Amino acid sequence: MRIFHKTSFDFIRFRKIAYGFSLVLLASGLISLAVKGLNYGIDFRGGSEVLIRFEKNIDVSTVRTVLDAAGVSGSLKQYGLDRSFLFSTVFNGETNDLKSLVSHALNDRLKGNHHEIVRIDAVGPSIASDLKWSAVKALIASLLAILIYVGFRFELKFATAGVVAIFHDILTVLGLFSILGGLFDFMPLEMDQSIIAAFLTIAGYSITDTVVVYDRIRERIRGQKPADYERIFNESMNQTLSRTIITSGTVLLSVLVLFIFAGPAIRGFAFAVFIGILIGTYSSIFVAAPLVFDWLRLSKSPVHLRGSKVS
Amino acid sequence: MLSMKNKRFNLLLIAAVTLVAAWSLWPTWRDYSLSQQLNSLRSAPDSLRFSLSNRDEIENARKKSLKLGLDLKGGMHLVMEVDQVDLFEQKAWNKDAKFIAIMKNVRAKASQSDARVLDILYGEFKNENMRLSRYFYDIRNSDQEIVKKLEKESEDALNRAKEIIRNRIDQYGVAEPVITTQGSRKLIIELPGVSDENRVRNLLKGTAKLEFRLLRDPEILVRTLDRLNTYIVQNSTALQSTSDSNAASSVSSQLKAPVPAKPASSRSLYDDIRVYQNGTAYTTEHSRDYVVSLIRRSDIQALLPQDTELLLSAKSDLINNEKHFTLYLVKKTPELTGGVITEAKATFGSQGVQPEVLMAMNSEGTSKWARITGANIGKRIAIVLDGAVYSAPVVQSKIPSGNSVINGIESLEEAKDLEIVLKAGALPAPVRIIEERSVGPSLGADYIRAGVLSLAWAFCAVSVFMLVYYKKAGIAADIALVLNIVIVLSVLAGFNASLSLPGIAGIVLTIGMAVDANVLIYERIREELDGGKVLKSAIEVGYDRAFSSIFDSHVTTLSAAFLLYTYGIGPIQGFALTLMIGTAASLFTSIVVTKEIFSFLLVRNLMTQKSFG
Repeated sequence: MRIFHKTSFDFIRFRKIAYGFSLVLLASGLISLAVKGLNYGIDFRGGSEVLIRFEKNIDVSTVRTVLDAAGVSGSLKQYGLDRSFLFSTVFNGETNDLKSLVSHALNDRLKGNHHEIVRIDAVGPSIASDLKWSAVKALIASLLAILIYVGFRFELKFATAGVVAIFHDILTVLGLFSILGGLFDFMPLEMDQSIIAAFLTIAGYSITDTVVVYDRIRERIRGQKPADYERIFNESMNQTLSRTIITSGTVLLSVLVLFIFAGPAIRGFAFAVFIGILIGTYSSIFVAAPLVFDWLRLSKSPVHLRGSKVS
Repeated sequence: MLSMKNKRFNLLLIAAVTLVAAWSLWPTWRDYSLSQQLNSLRSAPDSLRFSLSNRDEIENARKKSLKLGLDLKGGMHLVMEVDQVDLFEQKAWNKDAKFIAIMKNVRAKASQSDARVLDILYGEFKNENMRLSRYFYDIRNSDQEIVKKLEKESEDALNRAKEIIRNRIDQYGVAEPVITTQGSRKLIIELPGVSDENRVRNLLKGTAKLEFRLLRDPEILVRTLDRLNTYIVQNSTALQSTSDSNAASSVSSQLKAPVPAKPASSRSLYDDIRVYQNGTAYTTEHSRDYVVSLIRRSDIQALLPQDTELLLSAKSDLINNEKHFTLYLVKKTPELTGGVITEAKATFGSQGVQPEVLMAMNSEGTSKWARITGANIGKRIAIVLDGAVYSAPVVQSKIPSGNSVINGIESLEEAKDLEIVLKAGALPAPVRIIEERSVGPSLGADYIRAGVLSLAWAFCAVSVFMLVYYKKAGIAADIALVLNIVIVLSVLAGFNASLSLPGIAGIVLTIGMAVDANVLIYERIREELDGGKVLKSAIEVGYDRAFSSIFDSHVTTLSAAFLLYTYGIGPIQGFALTLMIGTAASLFTSIVVTKEIFSFLLVRNLMTQKSFG
């Protein structure tokens, strides 16, 4: 079976449209980030969360009224879709009090519907700021590492364009989290540690497709005149199009499985990785390689690529 | 000739890796099949006989089998912090108002940041242009010397706290607890399979500071309360605002219904505290929070007689269907502390209904206790644990045996917990829970089901896709994929790492990424075949040319996963770990293993141009 066999798309000609599309994507994400902001999970916000599961179906507003009446202040929302609710409140060291308060209130007033507290998470403010910093550090360090590695393996222009593409991918996902945050009951799309893991996965993987395209360009560009660059870029992208899409496809397949089967705790992560890989595949063709092309065109100097084989 | 040698080496390597992986996963399989056998036995005697006769094997298999993470097994993950500010306060001497003010600042700053408390303390003293030696150690010590000493002090405190908490957990009985220290003030405690979380939390966080303190006479208590009342009524307007802010900052008030605010003019101490004829004072459960905040205030404490303190009872009495807590006025300096306790035992008291804890003291404690009781016959001595009075019996006679009793305990369970904490000894400084993640066993079972389902579906989807898209070559990729998953699991089992839900997510993601290398190789082979190369050389060139991209993409994924592992905490590390192992293993499985499969098939003429789809 073959998909995208012997294609001849003129990617370079359409790059301006792609730039425009990416800019719109990024701008809408950034506007939403500025206006609406992000939903932070307790990892970064600090606080306590209690996951309550009922035996029978029950309305979220009923539970909310009961907890309000008992004087337990906090917010309650549906968690996943299976009679589970997530109650979140401020952090204090007394999880015992919180737990007994919640379960007494529910036992007293919802006698017919047995409930179970299946999970408790409590994160103090110092831990939350700790987690936030390590997330930022991990992101910066991984982008730097990738920049250095690709710069070492190819050339600085290629590496920079690759890292720009990663930024593009992560910012798009971040923007999407801001736009869609809190809209769906089955996935809260909160920023927490798992989303940082998703970003690092995206960063590590986004460059994969880019490297495949770069590799082909490197293989073919040696000794060629700058006038032929457009043709070489286009041909290289067409030749690698099939593998770019199939490699992303297999990963998308397994992430989709995670999204469907792994439960609400993993859903936000799976969503982020899915979108990130989709965008990453797009950006390796429409952002990374065209940026290198434009850069080479404007600088007018021939490339000195490392590691290209003479064959 | 060289390639023949290479080939033999590769085959040996594949065989060795497979064998080591199988050997490492064997105990997991045994553990699983033994517990299946055990579950299939119906009667209790049968299963007992089975477990006794196979005890060694069961234990051995369990010890070496692949561990499940806390989220899958159910259990608690706690991060506790040793209160270093309190520790440094203990170490200081001639504390004055200035010192108290500085320490208050230090406490506020320390709760906001993750910086070392010692650095914050030093910084505050520098700001005030004061030397640490004014309050710490010897006046001749330089600041650096004192910082070094305090550093040692806090290190010791953390290690001692770790040991004491380990003792408490061991006595309570948790299978395979993991307790580690992190940085200068954090303890990380992992307790798999804990069912009674409330009890564990109480057991862990108490300082277990036991004190025997003399009670002041009831007349003094009555007079003191009168004095406090006059002060409070005088300052009632000013007080109203402070008590409100106190209530807001006290930990539990945010959760409980707020104490109804009273009109400022009628605020009197006796609204909240009742004094009876015999000189005992009570507060109701309703007013307890207010009274607690009151007796902690420094302006109130300043009005008390020299070297005394107001304390509440740990337990309440039911009077007219309302819980009443007794208020005690005790001497601030303890007569004797819990350090002398050598033995503690929870039992039922003389009537056989009230649980109590019997304690025995060492020889030094015994002689002191004899002297104290002898000198105070007819007086009351309060038994104070972590700032709450458990009982305050009247001394009937001199006690020469070094025995004492804590009563006023509600349940035998609580008495047992007291026994545990008293035996383990007091913590050097209070500890607080600053992070907690607990998962109940039912949710853990859900996670396991979700994880297994995801693994199965991801494997099916990806492997079927490879078969459909690449035909015969897909088989090689699928074999490599199976080996890859086996390697990930065996490395986890071999290094005693545990598998968590994020870890399973990492494996699922690995399934999608591991075949990428094969896709890159196969696509290149197809290209070479289209270019007119013969099968054998197309395969050679395919592997050769695709290697560079495969290597680059693996390095980037690996470095991202490695950084995630380094900076990530807890659950995220599990994900990063499986992703790292899986990616690294796929370099071997997707390249070396599939290539050997192809050369095996090529030699036997089992492949054609069409084998790559």
